[in-house]
Amino acid sequence: MTTTDLRPGKHSPRQAADADGSAGTRGTRLGNKSFVFLLLLPGLVLLLAVVLYPLVRSLITAFFKESLVYPGSSFVGFSNIIDVLTDDFGQLLGQTLIFTVGSTVLSFLLGIGLALVLNQRFHGQRFLRGAFLIPWLVPGVVVSFLWMWIFDANYGVLNGILQQLHVIDHPVAWLFNTDAARTALIIAKSWSSFPWMMVMLLAGLQTVPTDLHEAAAMDGAGSIRRFFAVTWPHIRGVAGLVILLEFIWNFQHFDTIFVLTGGGPAGTTQTFATQVYDTAFKGYDLGHAGALGLLWMVLLMVLVVVYVTFSERGERKDKAR
Amino acid sequence: MTTLQTKPVAARAELALGPVSRTRRRRRPRWGMWIALVVIGLFAFLPLYWLAVTSITPNDEAFSYPPKLFPTHVTFDHYLKILQTPAIFQYFRNSVIVSVITSVLSVAVSMYMGYAFSKFRFRGRKSLMYFVLSSQMFPQALLLVTLYVVFAQFNLLNTYVSLILSFTTFTLPLCVWMLKGFFDALPDDLIEAAKIDGAGPWRTFHSVILPLAAPGLVASGLFAFVRGWNDFMFALTLAGPEKQTLPPGLVNMFITESSTSWPALMAASLLVSVPVSVAFIALQRFLVGGVTAGAVKG
Repeated sequence: MTTTDLRPGKHSPRQAADADGSAGTRGTRLGNKSFVFLLLLPGLVLLLAVVLYPLVRSLITAFFKESLVYPGSSFVGFSNIIDVLTDDFGQLLGQTLIFTVGSTVLSFLLGIGLALVLNQRFHGQRFLRGAFLIPWLVPGVVVSFLWMWIFDANYGVLNGILQQLHVIDHPVAWLFNTDAARTALIIAKSWSSFPWMMVMLLAGLQTVPTDLHEAAAMDGAGSIRRFFAVTWPHIRGVAGLVILLEFIWNFQHFDTIFVLTGGGPAGTTQTFATQVYDTAFKGYDLGHAGALGLLWMVLLMVLVVVYVTFSERGERKDKAR
Repeated sequence: MTTLQTKPVAARAELALGPVSRTRRRRRPRWGMWIALVVIGLFAFLPLYWLAVTSITPNDEAFSYPPKLFPTHVTFDHYLKILQTPAIFQYFRNSVIVSVITSVLSVAVSMYMGYAFSKFRFRGRKSLMYFVLSSQMFPQALLLVTLYVVFAQFNLLNTYVSLILSFTTFTLPLCVWMLKGFFDALPDDLIEAAKIDGAGPWRTFHSVILPLAAPGLVASGLFAFVRGWNDFMFALTLAGPEKQTLPPGLVNMFITESSTSWPALMAASLLVSVPVSVAFIALQRFLVGGVTAGAVKG
């Protein structure tokens, strides 16, 4: 990693050393190094204690037989991991991907559509930018309650509307049907996350120079053509990042699934997050939860590495500009 | 009213000027744009409308089929009932305590970290920044499993401490990034000037830099507050019935095997959502900049 940063106006290490040397006469002043260390200390302690230590420890648990309620543990090698891999792992991965990909794609489409609209000038555009944030601000459990009520089999408003439109001829128990339950989860999650996408993409859209659009319009390019030729190249970076981040977050999303379907019907909407939770807190089996978590982590790490290289590339581009 | 009156005038003025003189003006009406706005608007706001309407619908009307989009009777009984439930007050109190302390603590910790990342260059800075940033991507359900065991060992289950420590840590990446962005915008000359005036590094930070980053402190504090207020999974698992916050409290209270009292639940949901939404939209100006800076700059 870079230890020297010679951009003008930034403190390079040499300058800092000089400043320290000249300040030596002032007695009890802290050196730059220990000052920075103290600045970082509280945050690092928290991150090590609450993120890194539990993470490492739960990955180690993958190799032990350990229970949440009974004390003691015994080393079992790879048997937990083998158990998890042979026991419906493919199905679980598939279900997680359906939810993750579905929610990411749907919220991106809604987000970019809305961002393009709200990037235009019209009366009330400023108000709408604020109002459209509300679904994102609603707490996760409320999102679940709300969609649970909408999809309700007996008195749900969705059944009522669809029946009045003669799309269905009798009320449907949406959340007890695998495909419908999966769709319901994707809709609920997208509803709560597309405003965030919109905000990010709108920020990206504001970097698109308007004169380029006008020139393209002058040359007779239609709005779809202009989107791909002018707008998209400018927001590609932001779009890639928000898709990646949303994908990572959906990949470990818990609240909506746990409350809305509880993983049902018959476990067909379980994802890694809910399965790890259920294994540990309903099955009291820390070993298998750890093994599942280990595999989950490996998959997530791939995504994180992609994210880091992606944003590193973006930063380099920023500097070059 | 005034806009209605001025519109025809503006239109006439445009006719007189002709389309060429105003390049911004489009010639065709933007049908696609309006259709997209209406469709996405219905998707975004119809559920919210249904949330609000259900909360003021009498029970016998809410539990009838087909549901009525416009209720014929309006009642505020559900709100009164919610406000008279002692358990809800307890959850509310817990939520406020946990969220407020989380937000103060999170700002206090992340402002120092953000300042270090923003204004100082040291060995391992880049790697450390990536560690902080990527720590929000580790699967939290997995962390929770071990945190539960660790907190149990220290007898911290069913306390505010376990919740506050977890939430503070999970908000760090975002708050550090937001605050780093705010500090980045302040010129380095400020630090130099304070140094020349004889202020030590701590004094420089506390009395010169911090006051200037006040909007950033408010924004990241609000973010941390929302994280604590909205969290479900940790609050459900780490806190017992007396220390539980509103989200798991409402789930335990309403989502039962027998039929759910939807109008009351919708009323409670609205009460939980409103404070956060209002605060957020009021402070939107600072926040949107902060979110985008935090996530895009990397």
